[in-house]
Amino acid sequence: MKKDINSNRHIFLYATILIVIVAVLLTITALWLQPFQNRNEKNEKRINILTAAGIPDVNAKNAALMFEKHCTSEFLLDENGDPTEGDEGLPVFVIDRQTSVIPMQGNGLWGPIWGYLAIAADGKTVVGATFGHKSETPGLGGEITTEKFQGQFAGKQVMGNGNPIPIEFDAITGATKTSNGVKEMIDNTLEKYSAYLNKFAERGA
Amino acid sequence: MANLKKLIIEPLRKTNPVTALVLGICSCLAVTAQLKPALVMGASVTVVTALSNFIISLLRKGIPNRIRIIVQLVVVATLVILIDQFLKAFAYDVSKQLSVYVGLIITNCIIMGRLEAFALSHGPWESFLDGLGNGLGYCLILVIVAFFRELLGSGTLLGFQVFPQSFYEAGYQNNGLMILPPMALIVVGIIIWIQRTRNPEMQENNQN
Repeated sequence: MKKDINSNRHIFLYATILIVIVAVLLTITALWLQPFQNRNEKNEKRINILTAAGIPDVNAKNAALMFEKHCTSEFLLDENGDPTEGDEGLPVFVIDRQTSVIPMQGNGLWGPIWGYLAIAADGKTVVGATFGHKSETPGLGGEITTEKFQGQFAGKQVMGNGNPIPIEFDAITGATKTSNGVKEMIDNTLEKYSAYLNKFAERGA
Repeated sequence: MANLKKLIIEPLRKTNPVTALVLGICSCLAVTAQLKPALVMGASVTVVTALSNFIISLLRKGIPNRIRIIVQLVVVATLVILIDQFLKAFAYDVSKQLSVYVGLIITNCIIMGRLEAFALSHGPWESFLDGLGNGLGYCLILVIVAFFRELLGSGTLLGFQVFPQSFYEAGYQNNGLMILPPMALIVVGIIIWIQRTRNPEMQENNQN
């Protein structure tokens, strides 16, 4: 008996079975791989935080250990820039008791970009910065993740007289939108954290 | 046997998906600013074309004609998502490097083109080889284009500095134009030009 493969019955049956098989397959894979993916993402975050703070030789293998060793405290800030016990606020990671690493979020040309800015104990000098992106063009906007681009931030002054100083850096040729996105992201983040950063200056004075 | 070998070799040369069939140009512009993403993209597309060709060829006798494109899309999309998930779990660096292009593999016209033109009418093994060959042909062009763009545009290859600093001191400059997408089209155009000059039988007859 030869079935007519172009009958409506066959088409519906075929599509349904195919979709069910595919759905089950994808669900199993996603559930199975989830722990591995979460671990990778977590390590990636740790690597970025530590690298921004100037800790050398952090890689995916030793990230958890190094983070344990160097990150002396991590807390959230309330609107006044004080550490809070609550669930909401601006996160800060303190590395080796002196460098504050603050996370940044912004928009590039195609999608979200993010990064970490490490600020020294004086509350105004940048120790380092790392950036990440979801979908910037490799070779253009994607260059924000290179050492060459990230290296230029160390030593820059970001706070003066209690106000954030707009950041200046060498943009990437051919990636104007992404570079603008980075600038906007850093300026916005500093604005939000200025209360916290000012406390260092007051303490030092 | 010679015939099977041809399935792999020919797409690298006279039936190259990019230069002869002019498919997959879009991703050719996007990922060829540097060599490394080009290599990764070429490899991923090769895997996906080979496997999707194989699977569709296995299913070809049962696929209802009216929904065949949808079935093809489902198979390709599933493969791409699986590969993406595996990369994210076990090769996180590569996955970051590829970022948005993993999704773009689905829309790569070479894959659908080969499914329609070959896999639906040939056996699984032949289709697998055809997919492999076409993927490699695509990869080859991508690598050639990326080689010139990265070398002339950034002065590096795979991220390593090629031109010594003394060149720059002597006044040599990287060509910023090479980094921009239009140069990929021009390089592909030059490759097609050279290929057609060397193989006159590839030229369309414009006499009449």
